[in-house]
Amino acid sequence: MLRRKKFLFAILAIIPTFVIFGWVRMFPIIETLRLSMYDWNLLSKNKTFVGFSNFSQLFRDDQFLDALTNTAIIAFGAMAVTIPVSMALAGVIYHRTRSRFAGFYETAVFIPHVVSLVPAAMAWKWIFDAKLGPLNAIIMSLGGEAQAWLFDPVLSVICIILLVSWQTLGYAVLIYLVGFRNLPKSVYEAARLDGASGIQSFLFMSVPLLKPITLYVSVVTLISGFNVYAQAYVLASDTQGAPGRLVRVLVLDMLENSFQNFRVGYAAAEAVILLSIVLVLTAVQFSLLRQKGGN
Amino acid sequence: MPSHKRYGPLGKTVTLSAGLMLAGSISAQAQDIVVWGGFPELTDYYERVAEGMSDDYPDLNVIVEPIGLRDHEKRVALALSSGLDDATVLELIGSTANRYIVNDLLPPAPSGVADFVNDGENFEPFFRDTATVDGSVYGVPLFRGQGALFYNTDMLAEAGLDGPPTTMEEYDDYAAKLTQRDEGGTPTVSGWSLRLSGGGAGIAEKFWINMHQHGGSVLEQVGDKYRAGYANEAGLAALRQYVNAVSGDKTVSIDMPADAAAFQRGQTAMFIRESWVIGDTEKKAPDLNYDTALLPRGSIALPVNLYVSGGSDKAQEAAWAFAIEANKPEHLIWMLDNVGWLPNRVGVDYSGVIEAKPQFSAFVDLPEDYELFTLPSIEPINEILTRFAAKLTEAFADPSLAGDDEAIMAILESSAEETNAILDRAGILAE
Repeated sequence: MLRRKKFLFAILAIIPTFVIFGWVRMFPIIETLRLSMYDWNLLSKNKTFVGFSNFSQLFRDDQFLDALTNTAIIAFGAMAVTIPVSMALAGVIYHRTRSRFAGFYETAVFIPHVVSLVPAAMAWKWIFDAKLGPLNAIIMSLGGEAQAWLFDPVLSVICIILLVSWQTLGYAVLIYLVGFRNLPKSVYEAARLDGASGIQSFLFMSVPLLKPITLYVSVVTLISGFNVYAQAYVLASDTQGAPGRLVRVLVLDMLENSFQNFRVGYAAAEAVILLSIVLVLTAVQFSLLRQKGGN
Repeated sequence: MPSHKRYGPLGKTVTLSAGLMLAGSISAQAQDIVVWGGFPELTDYYERVAEGMSDDYPDLNVIVEPIGLRDHEKRVALALSSGLDDATVLELIGSTANRYIVNDLLPPAPSGVADFVNDGENFEPFFRDTATVDGSVYGVPLFRGQGALFYNTDMLAEAGLDGPPTTMEEYDDYAAKLTQRDEGGTPTVSGWSLRLSGGGAGIAEKFWINMHQHGGSVLEQVGDKYRAGYANEAGLAALRQYVNAVSGDKTVSIDMPADAAAFQRGQTAMFIRESWVIGDTEKKAPDLNYDTALLPRGSIALPVNLYVSGGSDKAQEAAWAFAIEANKPEHLIWMLDNVGWLPNRVGVDYSGVIEAKPQFSAFVDLPEDYELFTLPSIEPINEILTRFAAKLTEAFADPSLAGDDEAIMAILESSAEETNAILDRAGILAE
């Protein structure tokens, strides 16, 4: 009887959480899936069922394909930059834990993660500015040639990768630091007795032992990379000065299709594709790292 | 000895609650209306209009919330499709408002407001029509965006140029003579600043203005339908001119500072823009010597109207009164003088402002054959312009197009196909 009461209490206690989760998380996803099958202009009361027509149109749409390619490059690029850099930074900070500046190092690395995105992107826009930016000033003072960072098709994508990486780095370092603190000290002591250098210990012990952390960081970085929007928007926008080259990304394309072109079903189909990509990539990452971890 | 009564915690709570209730009842009597605009430079103007209503509406609280135009358009789309709580005055370009009106998301204006708009002594038919759908008035005309050439008089004098260019061929010649370069030949001051990068419909809109001078139009109307009108000689001439400026004569580069900011800093000699630049320059570069000139053939004119949505009947009445108050001569003269947007109301004496700021003459003293055009009120207009703009930005930055008319025409034809496909999907493609 008591057991049943406890069970009932547990169910009652968890119901509000499930309701909230269902309402704010599951309902929008289901509604987006439904809308992707309709032709709807946001304003009309009529929604016309079009089946998979929105999806077939998307794969013939140059702008969508361009956005998909750019987003994938940015997401994988940010992941490729963030993981090794954050792991190395976390390693350095961890080995300087006893330094009185340890707290400062951690805070300094974490600050970009909590800084508001738009002002941060504005600051980077100035850094990348072709004529007035400090980046080109440094390059030129070293004898190099000034680059049109925000206007060149390749460099403008690299700028966004750098900006996304700069923002995700702090969080990744924090997670890696937790990982470093949980690594068994005895293994490192044994390695030191066997004559392993610090770099060897890092490469052959820390890196493999931190695989679960790497899995988590790579999933989080990849997902945030696929959701890139404000960075591309701010770096390209300027109504009265020198707007940069607009790097079309998926979220930007979705917003434009929804609220400027009034093609909500079409934008929902884009969202479904983005969701599928993120789910598939996450599953692949989990399976790869689990396999390697098992081996 | 006077006795002091001490109130315990309960007494304090009761007193505080009573105070809050009183404050609540006072604020409940006040009438709130919200003004949403896409031109932040008009904030002071709207606040001034609100002050002007204080005698007739002493309890009216006007909340002015302007943001950038593109974001404003997004919030209006979201708000109107989901419903507005407060009575809201919406500042919208006529072609944008049309899609909300045909979907019954904007109410028609009350009869008194409609009479004001329909009065020929207040507005010319062009502006009345942009606020009217199927014979019903939905908005109150306010101001318009209209282009003219801005040129730096000192730079023209230094280059030995007497007066502004009057043909598109002269624009090229002037740009070549006005461009300043470093030792390596790289332009440091552009001769003619063009909109070459960024995103959105603005690039195609600016291209349309230039193409109009060559005798073309991005969209051609046939009856009540449309088709792409730029894969032709006029389109070729306009795109060739852009490509030649960037990659041929190199009078401008993609990464150069551009637009009003560049003009005010002396980083460009000429550019085409709306009249707000006059007000903006007065604030940011008061010592700049410049003038304006008519464009060779005509200009775009984008009328902006005030619409009302949401709130109680009483609040809506106050919101419509705000739209009428905004059109009072003293406010319109203030707007022209201090902000620079061109009011649409006729019968108001703007001569004092125009005499003090002769740069306005290129916007108001128009010859009879000067052609004004506007964006068509069709649902896919933004998508057409945005997609065309994406193609244009790629073309502007492609040096291989310089001198290759065939390749330029191929880009225009491929883009025109896309435009026609969008029109076809919307069911408004002309044969």
